[in-house]
Amino acid sequence: MSDDDFLRVTDVSKWYGEEQVLHDVSFEMDRGDVTVLIGPSGSGKSTMLRCVNRLAEAQEGSILLDGEEVLSPDLDVDELRREVGMVFQGFNLFAHLTAVGNVALGPRRVLGLSETEARERAEDQLERVGLGEQFDSYPAELSGGQQQRVGIARALAMEPKLMLFDEPTSALDPELIGEVLEVMHGLVDEGMTMLVVTHEMSFARAVADEVVFLDDGRVVERGPPEQLFERPEEERTGRFLERIASHD
Amino acid sequence: MSSATRPATVRERVAESDRSVGRLLLVAAGALFWGWLAVSWVNRWLGGVLVPVGQPLVPPAAVEATLAGVPGLAAYAADAAFVVEMTPDLARGTWLTVVITGVSLGLGFVIAVPLAVTRVYGRFSSWVSLAYTELLRGTPLLAQLFVLYYGLNLASYVPGAVSGVFARDVVWVAILGFTLNGAAYQAEYIRGALESVEEGQITAGRAIGLSKLETIYHVVLPQGLRYAIPSWTNEFVYLIKYSSLAGFITVPELYYRADQIAAETFRYTLIFLVTGAMYLALVLTASKLMVRVEDRVAIPGLGAGSEE
Ligand SMILES: Nc1ncnc2c1ncn2[C@@H]1O[C@H](COP(=O)(O)OP(=O)(O)OP(=O)(O)O)[C@@H](O)[C@H]1O
Ligand SMILES: [Mg+2]
Repeated sequence: MSDDDFLRVTDVSKWYGEEQVLHDVSFEMDRGDVTVLIGPSGSGKSTMLRCVNRLAEAQEGSILLDGEEVLSPDLDVDELRREVGMVFQGFNLFAHLTAVGNVALGPRRVLGLSETEARERAEDQLERVGLGEQFDSYPAELSGGQQQRVGIARALAMEPKLMLFDEPTSALDPELIGEVLEVMHGLVDEGMTMLVVTHEMSFARAVADEVVFLDDGRVVERGPPEQLFERPEEERTGRFLERIASHD
Repeated sequence: MSSATRPATVRERVAESDRSVGRLLLVAAGALFWGWLAVSWVNRWLGGVLVPVGQPLVPPAAVEATLAGVPGLAAYAADAAFVVEMTPDLARGTWLTVVITGVSLGLGFVIAVPLAVTRVYGRFSSWVSLAYTELLRGTPLLAQLFVLYYGLNLASYVPGAVSGVFARDVVWVAILGFTLNGAAYQAEYIRGALESVEEGQITAGRAIGLSKLETIYHVVLPQGLRYAIPSWTNEFVYLIKYSSLAGFITVPELYYRADQIAAETFRYTLIFLVTGAMYLALVLTASKLMVRVEDRVAIPGLGAGSEE
């Protein structure tokens, strides 16, 4: 709770029409931290993530990123999104572009790199996620695991200071989850700051500095993974953990 | 394709060769049609280097004499000679039909894309483009042409810069009419295709910092326009046929020429059969061309173009 938190979310509330989907959500992260958000379907995990890069607009509260107020109306939203990468459950790759084309689009059109520079950067990022052989494949020609790795490379190519992951492995066949988690482990080792929605408990256990349990738009409980997973203080947390454990 | 596991049956082989014979005939007919049109045009453009302007490329008398000697075809020799005699007029008309259709389709496309984009992604502008599309699709094309030609007398306002490009300035009025009308239909087809581009890709575009317009330009349009090709081809084909309405505002395109010849010679059936065949040639060319374009731009791994 120091003044120099890298990301500080304070009392964020959000409504869709009449329905309040986030209730005074607060948590904070240091640079290089990994925070995992868990919670039942509809609890507001995706919405919370989207508020951080302003794909969704929070109506109340404060989100400070590196000292800057994300929710300020004067903020340059495109500038913010350049610095915050996002990875989606459904990959959301650009279907008409090759792997390189997908990754190079941001550097080329947003960062203004030349065609060659953008391509080189894209190739570097694809190699980083283990896709050195798939530069010119189209999304429809790649497996789900490969597509998601392109999705990660696309976000990394913008050289973000924060990465948001929204259930990056939950659309994948079980045998393809490992390759994506491996890439994410690599990012953790490199010191990337990551806010991750996932139900991969082994991943959370291994790398999370803090786990935040959301239910019904509220932070029910938060803490280091060993504490939250082994000795949850709230009954709801325990019940939720049991439920997902029985699904594994 | 043909399976390697079992030999083709006789029936399959016959069907296969039927298809290739049919294809060959179609290609030959197409080559003859476009060859005739192109040579006629070059001849006219160069002031009659091959045959005097207004004369058929082959003498009707020779055609009649040749056919008269062929058993079974002799009965049609006179009709054939008559048709050949009319070919210079028909060639000019067909040429104008091609130009009107092509130019209107191209200009219409330029208007249709922003119309479709505002329709899908605009707020206020979405209503403007909806009103435009409904107005133009909801009223008869012929009435629209009459308003432009008789009502607004636009033929007398054709700007000096383009006046004289065609033998008659009214051609520009027809092009304007077809452009405005076609744009509305094209916009509808394109709109449907834009809507089929996954929402998630737009989100992903915004998430890397592209603006809404940039996302539309770099992500939505390249896909939407590809998906629009099959339905857009309908509009292409319709326009070829609808362009005959230009005849009603005295544009001397194919239908107008045919109607004039028929009125002078009373050979309605024969002339309109031949004219119909020419429209058919244009329509088939257009649809075959668009199938090629679709295959050419198909996204690997997706859609019809990728099927092996
Ligand atoms: N664009 C939207 N418009 C209206 N309501 C929405 C919208 N997006 C989300 N909601 C609602 O907000 C609530 C939280 O949704 P959210 O997608 O954030 O949940 P989630 O925790 O990510 O769930 P899941 O595990 O299913 O992805 C849900 O009740 C959902 O119906
Ligand atoms: Mg979600």
